[in-house]
Amino acid sequence: MGIRDRLRQAWRRRTGAIGLVVVWLLLWGSVTPLAVLGGVVVAAFVVVLFPLPPLAHRLRVRPLWLVVLLVRLLVDLVVSTVTVTREVVRRGGRVRTAIVAVPLRVRSDLLVTLTANVVSVTPGTLVMELDRNAGVLYAHVLPAPDDPERVRHEVWAIERQVARAFGPDEDVDAALRRP
Amino acid sequence: MTSVSDVVTSVFLLAGASSCLWGAVGLVRFPDTPARLHAAAKPQSFGLLMILVGTALRVTPGQAAPLVLVALVQFVTAPVIAQVVGRAAHHGDAISKDNLVLDELRQPGERRPSDRQPVDRGPDAGRGDGPRSP
Repeated sequence: MGIRDRLRQAWRRRTGAIGLVVVWLLLWGSVTPLAVLGGVVVAAFVVVLFPLPPLAHRLRVRPLWLVVLLVRLLVDLVVSTVTVTREVVRRGGRVRTAIVAVPLRVRSDLLVTLTANVVSVTPGTLVMELDRNAGVLYAHVLPAPDDPERVRHEVWAIERQVARAFGPDEDVDAALRRP
Repeated sequence: MTSVSDVVTSVFLLAGASSCLWGAVGLVRFPDTPARLHAAAKPQSFGLLMILVGTALRVTPGQAAPLVLVALVQFVTAPVIAQVVGRAAHHGDAISKDNLVLDELRQPGERRPSDRQPVDRGPDAGRGDGPRSP
């Protein structure tokens, strides 16, 4: 990769570089001119020295839906802690589990990743396998549901919310088109 | 001297600690790897979050800033690790068949994702434009 290509891909990642500066400032715990300068230098080095392939397409962040997603995430975390603890106490070694296949509608890697991340925080489900070609997510469910359809609908609801928060329009449409 | 902030902090810290404790008990009691992952992923994440909030209340904003990073890293990495370990457990048959009441990942006669050919990761990888397997 020539120096020109390197600089071009680094410029494409300027939003990510700003994120790195923020991380740097969080590490220092203070916003001084020196800390900002240090962060900018380090971030510039990182994006120039470690190139990443471009994301297949751009994200569209919708702040309102992002807040909805974050609140949901927090509530889910509390509920799933209670769920797991209850199973630990009541069943322990006799806990019943299941693996449920959920076909996804969204296609972009980033949305699939985010959906999988949220699913893993959701009560009772943990992503075990992602079949990227077929777009199928396999969730390990604890405790095992009476009806696997219920799990599928839960995952689809998460998929819709993630698509609304981040997705390009076509992914949102795809996620909402579900019967 | 006991103030409101002392009480609030101790509530957060104790809630976090007990949540982590239940996660640990789950690690011991649950029968197989994936079930243990549930115990490791959720009560632990929640417990850590509570402890971080409790701590952040007692320190200066400058000292609390790195705690945000701790929470961020936990929530970005925990599900990823759970998935990697979970799939390894499934491939390695580290799953208790007595507890598993339904397994849609391995139906009789169905090909497992691991049997598939390696994917060509082009610039549009994952967009679903390429040939789809049934």
